[in-house]
Amino acid sequence: MLDDFVAWLATTPGSIALHESLYMYAIVETIHVVAITLFVGTIAMIDLRVLGLALGRVPVSQVLRRLLPWTVLGFVILIITGALLFYAIPERTFHSLWFRAKMLLLVLAGINVWRFHRAYGLSPGDWDMGPAPARARFSAMASLALWIGVIFFGRFIAYNWFDCDKPQPAFISAVSACRNFTP
Amino acid sequence: MIKSPSRALAVLAAVAGLSFAGAAGQADAHHAFAAEFDGNAPVLLRGTVTKVQWINPHAWVHVAVPKAGGGTVVWMVEGGTPNTLLRSGLTRDSLKPGTAIIVRGYQSKDKACAPACKANGRDVTFTDGRRVFMGSSGTGAPKDGADPTERRP
Repeated sequence: MLDDFVAWLATTPGSIALHESLYMYAIVETIHVVAITLFVGTIAMIDLRVLGLALGRVPVSQVLRRLLPWTVLGFVILIITGALLFYAIPERTFHSLWFRAKMLLLVLAGINVWRFHRAYGLSPGDWDMGPAPARARFSAMASLALWIGVIFFGRFIAYNWFDCDKPQPAFISAVSACRNFTP
Repeated sequence: MIKSPSRALAVLAAVAGLSFAGAAGQADAHHAFAAEFDGNAPVLLRGTVTKVQWINPHAWVHVAVPKAGGGTVVWMVEGGTPNTLLRSGLTRDSLKPGTAIIVRGYQSKDKACAPACKANGRDVTFTDGRRVFMGSSGTGAPKDGADPTERRP
Protein backbone atom coordinates (compact mmCIF):
# COMPACT_ATOMS: atom_id res chain seq x y z
CA MET A 1 0.00 0.00 0.00
CA LEU A 2 2.77 2.36 1.01
CA ASP A 3 4.65 1.17 -2.10
CA ASP A 4 1.71 2.20 -4.28
CA PHE A 5 1.50 5.61 -2.63
CA VAL A 6 5.23 6.19 -3.15
CA ALA A 7 4.95 5.03 -6.78
CA TRP A 8 2.09 7.49 -7.30
CA LEU A 9 4.09 10.25 -5.59
CA ALA A 10 6.84 9.77 -8.18
CA THR A 11 4.38 10.51 -11.00
CA THR A 12 3.19 13.85 -9.59
CA PRO A 13 4.33 17.00 -11.43
CA GLY A 14 5.97 18.47 -8.31
CA SER A 15 8.20 15.43 -7.87
CA ILE A 16 9.26 15.48 -11.52
CA ALA A 17 9.87 19.24 -11.46
CA LEU A 18 12.03 18.88 -8.34
CA HIS A 19 14.23 16.04 -9.59
CA GLU A 20 14.61 17.63 -13.01
CA SER A 21 15.28 21.11 -11.62
CA LEU A 22 18.40 23.03 -12.53
CA TYR A 23 18.86 24.64 -9.12
CA MET A 24 16.08 23.75 -6.69
CA TYR A 25 17.29 20.26 -5.84
CA ALA A 26 20.79 21.51 -4.99
CA ILE A 27 19.35 24.40 -2.96
CA VAL A 28 17.07 22.13 -0.93
CA GLU A 29 19.92 19.66 -0.38
CA THR A 30 22.24 22.45 0.79
CA ILE A 31 19.66 23.85 3.22
CA HIS A 32 19.14 20.33 4.57
CA VAL A 33 22.87 19.94 5.24
CA VAL A 34 23.18 23.41 6.82
CA ALA A 35 20.19 22.64 9.07
CA ILE A 36 21.96 19.45 10.21
CA THR A 37 24.77 21.60 11.61
CA LEU A 38 22.25 23.67 13.61
CA PHE A 39 20.24 20.67 14.79
CA VAL A 40 22.98 18.19 15.65
CA GLY A 41 25.39 20.97 16.69
CA THR A 42 23.08 22.22 19.44
CA ILE A 43 22.19 18.65 20.44
CA ALA A 44 25.88 17.82 20.73
CA MET A 45 26.48 20.79 23.05
CA ILE A 46 23.58 19.69 25.28
CA ASP A 47 24.84 16.10 25.33
CA LEU A 48 28.41 17.22 26.08
CA ARG A 49 27.10 19.39 28.92
CA VAL A 50 25.17 16.46 30.41
CA LEU A 51 28.31 14.33 30.11
CA GLY A 52 30.26 17.07 31.91
CA LEU A 53 32.58 17.68 28.95
CA ALA A 54 31.47 21.19 27.92
CA LEU A 55 29.91 24.36 29.40
CA GLY A 56 30.72 23.01 32.86
CA ARG A 57 29.80 26.18 34.77
CA VAL A 58 26.43 26.68 33.07
CA PRO A 59 23.42 24.96 34.70
CA VAL A 60 21.96 22.17 32.54
CA SER A 61 18.56 23.87 32.70
CA GLN A 62 20.10 27.03 31.21
CA VAL A 63 21.81 25.08 28.43
CA LEU A 64 18.53 23.36 27.59
CA ARG A 65 16.52 26.56 27.68
CA ARG A 66 18.95 28.52 25.52
CA LEU A 67 19.87 25.87 22.97
CA LEU A 68 16.69 23.82 22.49
CA PRO A 69 14.80 26.56 20.59
CA TRP A 70 17.60 26.43 17.99
CA THR A 71 17.43 22.63 17.95
CA VAL A 72 13.68 22.84 17.25
CA LEU A 73 14.23 25.40 14.48
CA GLY A 74 16.84 23.11 12.92
CA PHE A 75 14.45 20.17 13.19
CA VAL A 76 11.60 22.01 11.45
CA ILE A 77 13.91 22.98 8.57
CA LEU A 78 15.21 19.40 8.39
CA ILE A 79 11.72 17.89 8.22
CA ILE A 80 10.61 20.29 5.47
CA THR A 81 13.75 19.93 3.33
CA GLY A 82 13.98 16.19 4.06
CA ALA A 83 10.39 15.68 2.93
CA LEU A 84 11.17 17.62 -0.27
CA LEU A 85 14.27 15.49 -0.97
CA PHE A 86 12.17 12.36 -0.50
CA TYR A 87 9.44 13.83 -2.70
CA ALA A 88 11.99 14.51 -5.46
CA ILE A 89 13.06 10.83 -5.66
CA PRO A 90 10.34 8.88 -3.83
CA GLU A 91 10.68 5.30 -5.08
CA ARG A 92 14.43 4.86 -5.06
CA THR A 93 14.62 6.50 -1.63
CA PHE A 94 11.77 4.48 -0.13
CA HIS A 95 13.38 1.24 -1.33
CA SER A 96 16.87 2.27 -0.20
CA LEU A 97 18.49 0.17 2.52
CA TRP A 98 20.33 3.27 3.77
CA PHE A 99 17.13 5.29 3.99
CA ARG A 100 15.40 2.52 5.94
CA ALA A 101 18.33 2.27 8.35
CA LYS A 102 18.22 6.05 8.76
CA MET A 103 14.50 6.00 9.56
CA LEU A 104 15.05 3.24 12.12
CA LEU A 105 17.76 5.25 13.89
CA LEU A 106 15.56 8.37 13.65
CA VAL A 107 12.79 6.56 15.55
CA LEU A 108 15.26 5.29 18.17
CA ALA A 109 16.72 8.80 18.54
CA GLY A 110 13.18 10.16 18.96
CA ILE A 111 12.39 7.63 21.69
CA ASN A 112 15.63 8.63 23.42
CA VAL A 113 14.63 12.33 23.32
CA TRP A 114 11.18 11.47 24.67
CA ARG A 115 12.61 9.37 27.52
CA PHE A 116 15.08 12.08 28.53
CA HIS A 117 12.45 14.81 28.64
CA ARG A 118 9.88 12.59 30.35
CA ALA A 119 12.40 11.99 33.12
CA TYR A 120 13.85 15.49 33.46
CA GLY A 121 11.66 17.90 31.50
CA LEU A 122 13.60 21.08 30.82
CA SER A 123 15.17 21.23 34.25
CA PRO A 124 17.02 18.34 35.88
CA GLY A 125 16.60 19.85 39.39
CA ASP A 126 19.03 18.14 41.75
CA TRP A 127 21.86 17.67 39.24
CA ASP A 128 21.49 21.02 37.45
CA MET A 129 25.11 21.88 38.36
CA GLY A 130 26.51 18.57 39.54
CA PRO A 131 27.36 15.31 37.81
CA ALA A 132 24.47 13.81 35.86
CA PRO A 133 23.04 10.43 36.92
CA ALA A 134 23.98 7.37 34.90
CA ARG A 135 20.63 7.30 33.12
CA ALA A 136 21.03 10.87 31.85
CA ARG A 137 24.61 10.20 30.77
CA PHE A 138 23.55 7.07 28.93
CA SER A 139 20.85 9.10 27.18
CA ALA A 140 23.41 11.74 26.16
CA MET A 141 25.78 9.13 24.75
CA ALA A 142 22.95 7.35 22.95
CA SER A 143 21.86 10.71 21.52
CA LEU A 144 25.33 11.45 20.11
CA ALA A 145 25.67 7.97 18.64
CA LEU A 146 22.16 7.85 17.15
CA TRP A 147 22.25 11.31 15.54
CA ILE A 148 25.70 10.65 14.08
CA GLY A 149 24.27 7.37 12.76
CA VAL A 150 21.34 9.22 11.21
CA ILE A 151 23.76 11.56 9.38
CA PHE A 152 25.93 8.62 8.31
CA PHE A 153 23.09 6.62 6.80
CA GLY A 154 21.54 9.75 5.30
CA ARG A 155 24.76 10.49 3.46
CA PHE A 156 24.99 6.97 2.12
CA ILE A 157 21.56 7.13 0.47
CA ALA A 158 23.51 8.74 -2.39
CA TYR A 159 25.37 5.50 -3.08
CA ASN A 160 23.74 2.80 -5.20
CA TRP A 161 25.57 -0.26 -3.79
CA PHE A 162 22.37 -1.78 -2.39
CA ASP A 163 19.85 -0.32 -4.84
CA CYS A 164 17.00 -2.49 -6.08
CA ASP A 165 17.99 -1.85 -9.72
CA LYS A 166 20.67 -4.54 -9.64
CA PRO A 167 20.87 -8.07 -8.25
CA GLN A 168 21.08 -8.03 -4.44
CA PRO A 169 21.40 -10.72 -1.78
CA ALA A 170 18.03 -11.97 -0.55
CA PHE A 171 18.39 -10.24 2.80
CA ILE A 172 18.95 -6.79 1.31
CA SER A 173 16.26 -7.36 -1.26
CA ALA A 174 13.77 -8.29 1.48
CA VAL A 175 14.64 -5.40 3.80
CA SER A 176 14.33 -2.91 0.93
CA ALA A 177 11.11 -4.55 -0.34
CA CYS A 178 12.67 -4.69 -3.82
CA ARG A 179 9.95 -6.96 -5.21
CA ASN A 180 7.49 -4.04 -4.97
CA PHE A 181 9.74 -1.77 -7.03
CA THR A 182 10.66 -2.11 -10.69
CA PRO A 183 13.05 0.75 -11.53
CA MET B 1 39.52 20.86 27.39
CA ILE B 2 40.30 24.11 25.58
CA LYS B 3 41.41 26.72 28.09
CA SER B 4 42.97 29.55 26.08
CA PRO B 5 42.21 31.38 22.84
CA SER B 6 45.54 30.35 21.32
CA ARG B 7 44.85 26.66 21.97
CA ALA B 8 41.36 27.08 20.51
CA LEU B 9 42.96 28.60 17.39
CA ALA B 10 45.42 25.74 17.15
CA VAL B 11 42.59 23.19 17.30
CA LEU B 12 40.63 25.15 14.68
CA ALA B 13 43.66 25.26 12.39
CA ALA B 14 44.18 21.51 12.76
CA VAL B 15 40.53 20.81 11.96
CA ALA B 16 40.63 23.15 8.96
CA GLY B 17 43.79 21.46 7.70
CA LEU B 18 42.21 18.03 7.97
CA SER B 19 39.08 19.21 6.15
CA PHE B 20 41.16 20.62 3.31
CA ALA B 21 43.02 17.33 3.05
CA GLY B 22 39.70 15.51 2.87
CA ALA B 23 38.18 17.97 0.41
CA ALA B 24 41.12 17.70 -1.99
CA GLY B 25 40.23 14.11 -2.76
CA GLN B 26 36.50 14.71 -3.01
CA ALA B 27 36.01 18.13 -4.63
CA ASP B 28 32.33 18.97 -4.84
CA ALA B 29 31.19 15.72 -6.37
CA HIS B 30 27.99 14.14 -5.25
CA HIS B 31 29.77 10.89 -4.79
CA ALA B 32 33.23 9.67 -5.58
CA PHE B 33 33.76 7.97 -8.94
CA ALA B 34 35.64 5.06 -7.42
CA ALA B 35 32.76 4.16 -5.10
CA GLU B 36 30.63 2.88 -7.96
CA PHE B 37 32.70 2.76 -11.16
CA ASP B 38 35.79 0.92 -12.35
CA GLY B 39 38.46 3.21 -13.83
CA ASN B 40 40.15 0.13 -15.33
CA ALA B 41 37.06 -0.88 -17.30
CA PRO B 42 36.67 1.70 -20.08
CA VAL B 43 33.74 1.16 -22.45
CA LEU B 44 32.96 2.56 -25.87
CA LEU B 45 29.24 2.39 -26.56
CA ARG B 46 27.91 2.91 -30.07
CA GLY B 47 24.12 2.94 -30.14
CA THR B 48 20.91 4.91 -30.02
CA VAL B 49 19.30 6.78 -27.15
CA THR B 50 16.18 5.04 -25.84
CA LYS B 51 15.45 7.23 -22.84
CA VAL B 52 16.95 10.03 -20.76
CA GLN B 53 16.16 10.45 -17.08
CA TRP B 54 16.83 14.10 -16.20
CA ILE B 55 17.32 13.35 -12.53
CA ASN B 56 19.23 15.15 -9.83
CA PRO B 57 21.86 14.48 -8.67
CA HIS B 58 22.76 12.36 -11.73
CA ALA B 59 21.06 12.08 -15.09
CA TRP B 60 20.89 8.67 -16.77
CA VAL B 61 21.08 8.22 -20.53
CA HIS B 62 19.77 4.84 -21.71
CA VAL B 63 21.55 3.61 -24.84
CA ALA B 64 20.61 0.54 -26.88
CA VAL B 65 23.85 -0.94 -28.20
CA PRO B 66 23.63 -3.53 -31.01
CA LYS B 67 25.36 -6.83 -30.24
CA ALA B 68 27.67 -8.57 -32.68
CA GLY B 69 25.45 -11.61 -33.00
CA GLY B 70 22.23 -9.62 -33.30
CA GLY B 71 19.94 -8.06 -30.68
CA THR B 72 20.81 -5.16 -28.41
CA VAL B 73 22.14 -4.56 -24.92
CA VAL B 74 20.76 -1.63 -22.93
CA TRP B 75 23.37 0.47 -21.16
CA MET B 76 22.42 3.01 -18.49
CA VAL B 77 25.02 5.76 -18.60
CA GLU B 78 25.34 8.08 -15.63
CA GLY B 79 25.99 11.74 -16.41
CA GLY B 80 26.26 14.94 -14.40
CA THR B 81 23.33 16.87 -12.96
CA PRO B 82 20.73 18.31 -15.36
CA ASN B 83 22.35 21.70 -14.74
CA THR B 84 25.86 20.41 -15.53
CA LEU B 85 24.63 18.79 -18.75
CA LEU B 86 22.88 21.97 -19.85
CA ARG B 87 26.07 23.96 -19.28
CA SER B 88 28.04 21.44 -21.34
CA GLY B 89 25.51 21.85 -24.12
CA LEU B 90 23.33 18.77 -23.71
CA THR B 91 19.57 19.30 -23.70
CA ARG B 92 16.46 17.18 -24.06
CA ASP B 93 16.48 18.04 -27.75
CA SER B 94 20.04 16.87 -28.31
CA LEU B 95 19.38 13.50 -26.66
CA LYS B 96 15.96 12.59 -28.03
CA PRO B 97 15.12 8.87 -28.21
CA GLY B 98 16.48 7.50 -31.48
CA THR B 99 19.51 9.78 -31.56
CA ALA B 100 22.65 7.91 -32.63
CA ILE B 101 25.52 8.54 -30.22
CA ILE B 102 28.88 7.19 -29.16
CA VAL B 103 29.57 7.27 -25.44
CA ARG B 104 32.96 6.89 -23.81
CA GLY B 105 32.87 5.89 -20.19
CA TYR B 106 33.70 3.36 -17.50
CA GLN B 107 31.63 0.37 -16.47
CA SER B 108 30.19 0.03 -12.99
CA LYS B 109 32.17 -2.04 -10.48
CA ASP B 110 29.45 -4.67 -10.52
CA LYS B 111 29.54 -6.14 -14.00
CA ALA B 112 26.13 -7.71 -13.43
CA CYS B 113 24.46 -6.05 -16.45
CA ALA B 114 21.09 -6.83 -14.86
CA PRO B 115 18.60 -5.56 -15.67
CA ALA B 116 20.83 -3.17 -17.65
CA CYS B 117 24.56 -2.60 -17.92
CA LYS B 118 25.70 0.54 -16.12
CA ALA B 119 28.50 2.93 -16.86
CA ASN B 120 29.73 6.37 -15.92
CA GLY B 121 29.68 8.52 -19.03
CA ARG B 122 32.67 10.73 -19.83
CA ASP B 123 31.72 12.19 -23.17
CA VAL B 124 29.19 11.74 -25.92
CA THR B 125 29.87 12.09 -29.64
CA PHE B 126 27.13 12.89 -32.15
CA THR B 127 26.96 11.85 -35.80
CA ASP B 128 28.09 15.34 -36.86
CA GLY B 129 31.34 14.78 -34.92
CA ARG B 130 30.43 17.09 -32.03
CA ARG B 131 31.89 15.71 -28.79
CA VAL B 132 30.46 16.91 -25.46
CA PHE B 133 31.63 16.21 -21.91
CA MET B 134 28.78 14.58 -20.01
CA GLY B 135 30.31 13.91 -16.59
CA SER B 136 31.01 16.03 -13.53
CA SER B 137 34.39 17.53 -12.71
CA GLY B 138 36.31 16.53 -9.63
CA THR B 139 34.77 13.11 -9.07
CA GLY B 140 38.11 11.35 -9.16
CA ALA B 141 37.38 9.75 -12.53
CA PRO B 142 40.48 8.88 -14.61
CA LYS B 143 42.08 11.93 -16.24
CA ASP B 144 41.37 10.84 -19.78
CA GLY B 145 41.06 14.24 -21.39
CA ALA B 146 37.26 14.11 -21.59
CA ASP B 147 36.79 16.87 -19.00
CA PRO B 148 37.60 20.25 -20.59
CA THR B 149 38.35 21.80 -17.18
CA GLU B 150 41.26 19.40 -16.76
CA ARG B 151 42.94 20.73 -19.91
CA ARG B 152 43.19 24.27 -18.59
CA PRO B 153 46.64 25.22 -17.24
